[in-house]
Amino acid sequence: MALLSMLSMIPFALNAATAETLAADAAQVVDAVAEASVVAEPTGFGIVLDKIEYFILIPWVYLSIAFMIFGIIYRLVSIYRAPKTPFSLKIYSSKKESPLSAWNDTFMLPQVRRNKPFFWISLMIFHISGVLLILGHLDILPTISILSEDSKHMIGAGLVGVGFTLPLFHFLFRRFKTPIREITVPADFLLIVLVLFLALFGDMISWGNSWTANGFITTKQKFAEYFQALATFNFENPRYYIWSPHYHFLVIHVALANLFFMLVPFSKIVHAFFAMPINKLRRK
Amino acid sequence: MDLQQQYELEKLFKTKLHQAMRFYLETCTHCGLCVDSCHVYNSMPELRYTAVGRSEVVRKIFIKYFKMQGKIAPWLGETMEMDEFVLDKFYEAAFSCTGCRRCMVHCPFGIDTQQIMSIAKLLLVGADKEPKILSMLSDMSINKGEQVEESRAQYAEAIKNIEPEVEAIWPTPPGKKTIPLEVEHADVLYVALSGKHSIISAAAIFNAADINWTLSSFEAVNFGAFLGDPQRTKKIGNRIIAEATRLKVKTVAIVECGTAFRIMKQQFGKLPFEVVTFVELIAKYHQEGKIKLNKVMTEKVTYHDPCQIARNAGVYEAPRYILNQLSDDFVDMIPNREENWCCGGGGGLVAAGDFEFRMKSSKVKADQMKKTGATVVATACENCHSQLHDVCGYYNTNQHVEFISHLAAQGLAK
Repeated sequence: MALLSMLSMIPFALNAATAETLAADAAQVVDAVAEASVVAEPTGFGIVLDKIEYFILIPWVYLSIAFMIFGIIYRLVSIYRAPKTPFSLKIYSSKKESPLSAWNDTFMLPQVRRNKPFFWISLMIFHISGVLLILGHLDILPTISILSEDSKHMIGAGLVGVGFTLPLFHFLFRRFKTPIREITVPADFLLIVLVLFLALFGDMISWGNSWTANGFITTKQKFAEYFQALATFNFENPRYYIWSPHYHFLVIHVALANLFFMLVPFSKIVHAFFAMPINKLRRK
Repeated sequence: MDLQQQYELEKLFKTKLHQAMRFYLETCTHCGLCVDSCHVYNSMPELRYTAVGRSEVVRKIFIKYFKMQGKIAPWLGETMEMDEFVLDKFYEAAFSCTGCRRCMVHCPFGIDTQQIMSIAKLLLVGADKEPKILSMLSDMSINKGEQVEESRAQYAEAIKNIEPEVEAIWPTPPGKKTIPLEVEHADVLYVALSGKHSIISAAAIFNAADINWTLSSFEAVNFGAFLGDPQRTKKIGNRIIAEATRLKVKTVAIVECGTAFRIMKQQFGKLPFEVVTFVELIAKYHQEGKIKLNKVMTEKVTYHDPCQIARNAGVYEAPRYILNQLSDDFVDMIPNREENWCCGGGGGLVAAGDFEFRMKSSKVKADQMKKTGATVVATACENCHSQLHDVCGYYNTNQHVEFISHLAAQGLAK
């Protein structure tokens, strides 16, 4: 009924009072639908789906993060256990070098800035957004408060996610262009597509939160409950405390994130950990 | 190719997997930023002539034989089996790369394609598919080291015969030998090449500066490095190290030969003597007032930075300093220093032949030289000199190529 009354209002001019009423009604609708859905216990295929979604949201998160951590350690240990390089592989700069040159190479990408400035902008926006996304996810934990706890937004209110997503389109499309197309292997495409979909679902959650009164999927405070449950190894089914009509979007986002975590050590993403040591080789 | 040979080559591959190599093979994101770096690609735009195109041939074998991905999902990285086709690809990749490492400057990670190509070269040696001229020249250098005592008298005689040509440039100081040999505790052991041109100018400069120097019994060039065979590289380098250690010299000055200099300076660890390239000594002697140089050059001169001396060993300013003493009309190439285009003859390509490829792949170099408007192209590397001389002729640049040492010897003043 509330939804019908909301729709019936659309043709009329909105004043402040009607806008307030509309927001309140919308919130009631979301809450009502969410509660109604929780009350209904899954049946039939719903039971299987519920179990799959539970696995994705709780056990697989632990497994994928553990897999990632051990994978990265394994990769680094296996490289550092290899024989040391018996000679210098330095490249000499005609400009004055400092002990921070390798840091500069790694984080500021001066070679890219000089030779491909547009690509550099894309890379910088992507990587800075990536770091902010990590911070934004940590901020959801109740024990970490970068933004105030009652803020309904993640860091950047969705802008960070968009900043992460748009360069991914650039990275994807440039792979269809010669000569990058010829050096691209299936793993490169799959990885970009995975990260792109992960980002798009994340955008729906974070940016979408600013579209309606109660958030597009669910509120940041609800996510905090889920993150807190993960942090405290509470194995309760999240369906019972973060249910919303868009619960499945969250599940897909987490599933893609789990896949991403598991791929980190064994894909090109590992350059996040190798970039500094390899850049040091060029400078020492 | 049978399984036994595949296994042997796999074992050989494994010997190259040191820490840096693992990073180089495992970090590339296929961003393509190295593509425009290669002079070959810029002259002949084909993917196989890019740094990533070359490295991928080796990387695909690495993933196939040394990574889990190669076992369970080889299609993800389009891996390849070690076979005759791959060895042909290795040859094409390794011997179209001059090892200039310009791509390393542009790669956001600093991946060293020359290192990756050293795997391809080693496997070609293992499969007996290397350029035979390079293995023959390497073995000749090693044999010379083993039989140096037997040939010493003959060598001294040959050296004696070129002394008048040194005297014609600069008279030997009284009580000194024009080209001294086997001098213990010499300040400088000068390691030349087999051609007399690499001795005459240097001897005149040493004598003009009144230096306590001695000439090495060996040639500096290391064909083992061009070949990509670490054992031969070591044996060839060790001849010079043993001689320098026996004579207890303070400094080993390497002739204008980029690879010889870089190999000796960087790839033999800590040595009991200093290693310099001869052009550094010329600049030093002038700065210390030991020699004087006249502005004898009347033509416009430019300088080609040899990759192994400049980008890969850091000698940028000494040659420019010398040229500025000899000429009022010096102009730098653009780009220059670490961004300079390779001559196109490094990595053993000059010795290995294939003139057409060397010339076609150096179009960008010819254009760069022409744009300077200079008529003299000076350089400090034998390989570069030979290659640029050919390039000037092939592209009719109306330029001639000169060694820095030769120009300096001509400019020696009282």
